[in-house]
Amino acid sequence: MADEYLEVPPELSRNVFLTTLDTVYNWSRRSSLWPMMFGLACCAIEMIAVAASRYDLARFGMEVMRPSPRQADVMIVSGTVTKKMVPQIVRLYNQMPQPRYVVAMGACATGGGPFKEGYNVVSGVDKFIPVDVYIPGCPPTPEALLYGMMRLQEKIKRQSVKTVPWYRKERDDIPVPVLGPDILDLRRKEEIKKISAQLADSEKYLERLETKTTQKA
Amino acid sequence: MVGKGILRGLTTTARHLLETYLDDVKKIPSRYAYDRHFIKQPLEEKGIFTIQYPEERRVLPERFRYVPMLLYDADTGEDRCTACGICAKVCPTQCIWIVREEDKTGKPLPRSQEFYIDISICMGCGFCAEFCPFDSIKMNHDYEIAVYNRYPDLVLSKDDLVVPTTYYAQLYPEAWAAEERAREEERKRKAAREKALAAKRAAKAKAAAKKKDEQKDAGK
Repeated sequence: MADEYLEVPPELSRNVFLTTLDTVYNWSRRSSLWPMMFGLACCAIEMIAVAASRYDLARFGMEVMRPSPRQADVMIVSGTVTKKMVPQIVRLYNQMPQPRYVVAMGACATGGGPFKEGYNVVSGVDKFIPVDVYIPGCPPTPEALLYGMMRLQEKIKRQSVKTVPWYRKERDDIPVPVLGPDILDLRRKEEIKKISAQLADSEKYLERLETKTTQKA
Repeated sequence: MVGKGILRGLTTTARHLLETYLDDVKKIPSRYAYDRHFIKQPLEEKGIFTIQYPEERRVLPERFRYVPMLLYDADTGEDRCTACGICAKVCPTQCIWIVREEDKTGKPLPRSQEFYIDISICMGCGFCAEFCPFDSIKMNHDYEIAVYNRYPDLVLSKDDLVVPTTYYAQLYPEAWAAEERAREEERKRKAAREKALAAKRAAKAKAAAKKKDEQKDAGK
């Protein structure tokens, strides 16, 4: 079962114990992936449909949608990630215990979707947090989401306890992005820069204000 | 009576629940035994049941759409796409990129050299399929396209996108029949027009010859 997916180095080929542990460990992990219960946009409706009885996520052992990141294994980013929402998403990701997985569901979470060029939308959640599986579609059908979750299970199946990045001492938390002055139209960057430089030059600014007021008067 | 409405509502729920199981019993051995892989809930069936997804699938309606596909003629093996670029222009998310093929002198040819669709931003609106004047871009029904890497797996090139027309005919039986009818009519109309034109030209030539003959006779 495991040989199909695991590459066993020659010096380990007789070490039956470790491969067996990997198999059992990965089997138990992928059979009870608990997603986090949060939705961002219309994709969340499809996610709800998947959890409901018609498609029944419980058949994969994923029925327990946890409202707390502390108990969740997988984060389904279902919907448009706005710049305002990014700090919260990254914070939720940091609060999830390892091993943690992220599924980018739908066009918006994957690459910004129709709002890719928008001033307030992050073009892909993978700019901030590492994504394991991308599911295209707008929105993906429930079957497509199930397929994506199955791909995630396949990925987990291939992981080895020896090489996984968790169980290490150093924390790999992602710095939470701060909402700042970056929410501006980059196409008019030069113009805005010029205006702000002018505004910074207070003497000129005051002068202009005075001339304006005198003109008005 | 207090709580009558609640009772009535609960009865509806209970009926749905019962019907789900009753239908299971009615279809012996099981509703899942009709066709193992493709499943469609008949209209007369009342309950609602779980679709055991990887083993069985929903029968998709013909006009279901997911991401675009490019058609090539199954008989000739030629692309239907002429690289006119209308799909790229109408695409609301601007996810289509076409490079037109050119000959040695730089004259554009009616073929696409490269054709990319970034399905990581495609919103599946179907405008490209709607606007294509050559019926070359259509919406695929395949939704099993989850990947591990965004680049380059989600930027589909021409090789990933092309499908034969037979595949399209199988997915869209009704639309395919309508298109075939339209093409047949167009062919007939064209033939009739050409025939009429040829007849007209022949008559003109005849008249001209007659006139020449008459002039010749007058000249004598």
